[in-house]
Amino acid sequence: MSDYSIWVCEYSYVKDYHKSGVLYGAHNQGYVKLPYCYVVIKGRDHIAMVDVGYNDKEYGKHLGDKFGVENWRSPKTVLGAIGIKPEEVDTCFITHAHFDHFGNVEDFPNAKFYIQEREIAKWVWAMSLPDRMRWMMIAVDPGDIVRGVDLARDKRLVTVDGSLENVLPGIDLHAAFDSHTYGSMWVTVRNDGKEQSDDIWVLAGDLVYVFENIAGPGGAVDLEEIYTPVGLAVGSQTNLVMATEEMMKQANYEAKRVIPVHEERIKDVFPSRTTSEGLRITEICLADGETSKVTG
Amino acid sequence: MSAHADSQTFNRIVGIHKPDCEMLMRCDPVPEAPLPGEAELVAALGSEQTAEYAMACRSIYEDLRRVIGQLAGLMILARVTRKIEFVELEQVDNCTKRWTDAGARIGALKAPGPVARHKQQIEAAHDFCGRVLKTFPQLSSRTDLDVTFDEMGEHLKQAYQNLSRASSHEAGLVMVDFANACCSCGR
Repeated sequence: MSDYSIWVCEYSYVKDYHKSGVLYGAHNQGYVKLPYCYVVIKGRDHIAMVDVGYNDKEYGKHLGDKFGVENWRSPKTVLGAIGIKPEEVDTCFITHAHFDHFGNVEDFPNAKFYIQEREIAKWVWAMSLPDRMRWMMIAVDPGDIVRGVDLARDKRLVTVDGSLENVLPGIDLHAAFDSHTYGSMWVTVRNDGKEQSDDIWVLAGDLVYVFENIAGPGGAVDLEEIYTPVGLAVGSQTNLVMATEEMMKQANYEAKRVIPVHEERIKDVFPSRTTSEGLRITEICLADGETSKVTG
Repeated sequence: MSAHADSQTFNRIVGIHKPDCEMLMRCDPVPEAPLPGEAELVAALGSEQTAEYAMACRSIYEDLRRVIGQLAGLMILARVTRKIEFVELEQVDNCTKRWTDAGARIGALKAPGPVARHKQQIEAAHDFCGRVLKTFPQLSSRTDLDVTFDEMGEHLKQAYQNLSRASSHEAGLVMVDFANACCSCGR
């Protein structure tokens, strides 16, 4: 029995992203394609998203010109490929406040948004620091926080302090403080609804970018594989490794069940297709009675 | 809950270092992220006068960007938690000081003809931030908080919109710092 279907939907990508950004210490090892994706969870009369991407009107030209970000498509187009309208989304889990995860709340007019309280509070704190510490404010747009004020007004923003179970039936939130960002979180889906689930999916946000963050090369320490954290952390790589261990523990150490949304090779692990827009849809699992959106 | 308890709550959330933490104050300055220099600005903006204006404008823009971000974050926390004491924290004092300093520099900013309109947008952003800041101390005496928050939210949006219109990548006036960000492909 599976309660939910889960799809990873690509909405844009960078062709040549330096590998050291996604994998700590991978200097001079070239570039990888970095897809920008969000996750759609459908079932139990809900449609939920993990992150909402960014709004191309605000950033598109700059990102295209300066960083080579290509082929941005709106949620209407991206979700349309799996038969969903943005207006049908009722819940959005924001794993962290970077512009490419929290930058498009306007396209989901009927959704309630969940974010860690600490992600907002530490933003206020970071903004108050001297200019020489400006690095600690990277990739957050004040405009996204301003739009958060509107969400709060409309009672569509919920700030969470740490873990929260059963936000939707069988879906839990888990905090990874001072890791990739100050108040990052990941989402677990217990797809059989059991407290001790045998069918759990971990949606890792940016706590895991690529497979090597979970199964990195361990030859240098005489091990086959070790956790190798992502490169970018305003918190610490230690906290990233600890969060990885916690996620893996929840997944009974089955690495396949920890889903990295920036991983291009996820298409080699799960059924996938490329849409007419040149963007990938990956089907992680299907709820009972749901039809595949990538095959047939 | 008392203001002291709420202050403790905020400090619990933000954790390790406060803005006035001695350890932070002792840190040596680090190089700023690379922005266009004056010569590049002259080339990009067309005249020395305009380039000088843009250079002078940068710190003001940055201050306003931060004031808007801080105010938005504080308003979210206050509204979601229904604890107006959040807005009486020292972070509001920091914000007010930054806003006041920015105002003094705007007053001294010379805006040649082509950028006069730009300066007006900066002034408007500053003015709308001021309206929000000045409402904070009155919150405890307001009976209809939701109405007051709505007004503050509208002013904040106006501030953001004016500052957004005043953004210019050529001039180094950018709302998001993309250096080292998720999108940075290292080109």
